[in-house]
Amino acid sequence: MNLLQAILIALFGYLSSNYSPWVFGQLGGWYTMGRPLVSGFIIGIILGDVKTGILMGAAVQTLYIGLVTPGLSMPADLNFASYMGIPLAMVAGADTEYALGLSVPLSFLGVSLVYVVASVNVFWVRKQEQWIAEGKIEKAANVPVYASIVQFLARFVPIFLACYFGQEFITDLVAAIPEWLGDTFVTFGGVLPAVGFAMLLRFVLKKNLEILYFLVGFVLIKVLGMPIIAATIVACFLGFLDIKYMGSGAGKAEIEMEVEEDE
Amino acid sequence: MSENITKSKLSKKDVFKSYVYWMMFALSCQNMERMEAPAFAGVMGKVANKLYDSIEDKQALMMRHTQFYNTQPMVGSMVTGIALGMEEERACGKEVPDELIQSVKTSLMGPFAGIGDSLFIGTLIPILLSIGLGLVGENGSIAGPLFYAAAWLIIMIPFTWLTYKWGYRSGISAVQTIYQSGVMDKVVRFANILGMVVVGCITGQYVSFNIGWVYTSGEMTMDIQGVLDGIFPGALPLLITLACWYLMDKKKVSMGKIILALFVICLAGKFFGILA
Repeated sequence: MNLLQAILIALFGYLSSNYSPWVFGQLGGWYTMGRPLVSGFIIGIILGDVKTGILMGAAVQTLYIGLVTPGLSMPADLNFASYMGIPLAMVAGADTEYALGLSVPLSFLGVSLVYVVASVNVFWVRKQEQWIAEGKIEKAANVPVYASIVQFLARFVPIFLACYFGQEFITDLVAAIPEWLGDTFVTFGGVLPAVGFAMLLRFVLKKNLEILYFLVGFVLIKVLGMPIIAATIVACFLGFLDIKYMGSGAGKAEIEMEVEEDE
Repeated sequence: MSENITKSKLSKKDVFKSYVYWMMFALSCQNMERMEAPAFAGVMGKVANKLYDSIEDKQALMMRHTQFYNTQPMVGSMVTGIALGMEEERACGKEVPDELIQSVKTSLMGPFAGIGDSLFIGTLIPILLSIGLGLVGENGSIAGPLFYAAAWLIIMIPFTWLTYKWGYRSGISAVQTIYQSGVMDKVVRFANILGMVVVGCITGQYVSFNIGWVYTSGEMTMDIQGVLDGIFPGALPLLITLACWYLMDKKKVSMGKIILALFVICLAGKFFGILA
């Protein structure tokens, strides 16, 4: 990886991160370029090996397919997992399971950074109020534009340093990993998505007994072998039956609950 | 007479520009204290010159929106549209109390965050990613990432713009429509059910955990995994996922500890040759 490639990866890493505004906010950034499947494609283009990039991106994506990141709770940092894990595994010439092995620890590295950025940004809240009070409307309205520098520093710098200076270290590390540990990562990569799905389940499940809906979904795919779109149609039908025959009382309490949770 | 007041201060272009501003900058000043408030105030600041002439009115307009605000910004773009519509009505002389605008925002941000995270982030994205991952296959086809990116953007760009515009046009009546018709309750409920089933689907699709150990006693061999598959295919991945959910939801065990525990299980399982 040369200097230009490391800079490009760090730049796209920043653009794909959650609070970056420049690619139409979350829509084009975090939820498009920030999904490891797409990140792998971008990294593959930069490093000149699209196929390997996509395969590694897909492997990392599988781990985090169920990751929901509401508000400030960021259980794992997909951004570092993708933009450090994938390029480093690629330059080390490693297999996809090593990309997973690298991504998991890296995904924890970035978690606290979210809170650092959100704490530093409190400064901008004060600035905005000050500028409003001084009548500098245009400046106050541009606070979110200025504030994006914080996220830039928090993302661009670590990704650049890790990619540019970490490559030799990672190459040696990967070469030193014994085969049994590599095999363990394969098994581990198979079971790890369970954590993401458990998180997602925690998010959508309101009553314990409704775990039945989850089991139905599992049975549709695993026992009946349905493709995902067909299973989604069945899910829509179940949802339709529920709101048609349950009456509207059930949903009300949930709305109030969610308001409380969010505050 | 207030019936005759129409919204006339903002052009279509102004509304579109404010939508783009919100979509881009909603989270770029995300902070511990007020979350998305700086962006919300920023939306108002950008139209302040169109709505008011005096500096005091412009300052008051922005100040009203510096209070804590947090929702799923894309799905909740409608709330910003509603607030913008209400502010314009107010600037045109209609009686719109401060508290009303504030309470509309605070009462809608929760449900929109809930729907956004469960229906869009937790359901739509995993479905689209599943299809994309299927297209990647073993050859690393670019069809996978391209399908995901295209499908997601084609669904979400019109959705966010249309809901923003609808919120802006209907203003306060959008809120009344949502609450009186009970649509919100139904959408939340539908999103939950769809979410639960789809999580079950992708669990079946992506979690794998196989026993490689074969029990042998003299002539008889017993493939443990084969026996388990005969009873219930995917029983172990299912149990592990449920265990993770139980530990995180009921026992408040952190995600990091669970991941570490799974790694230790895999390491030990591999070492003793129990796991495949």
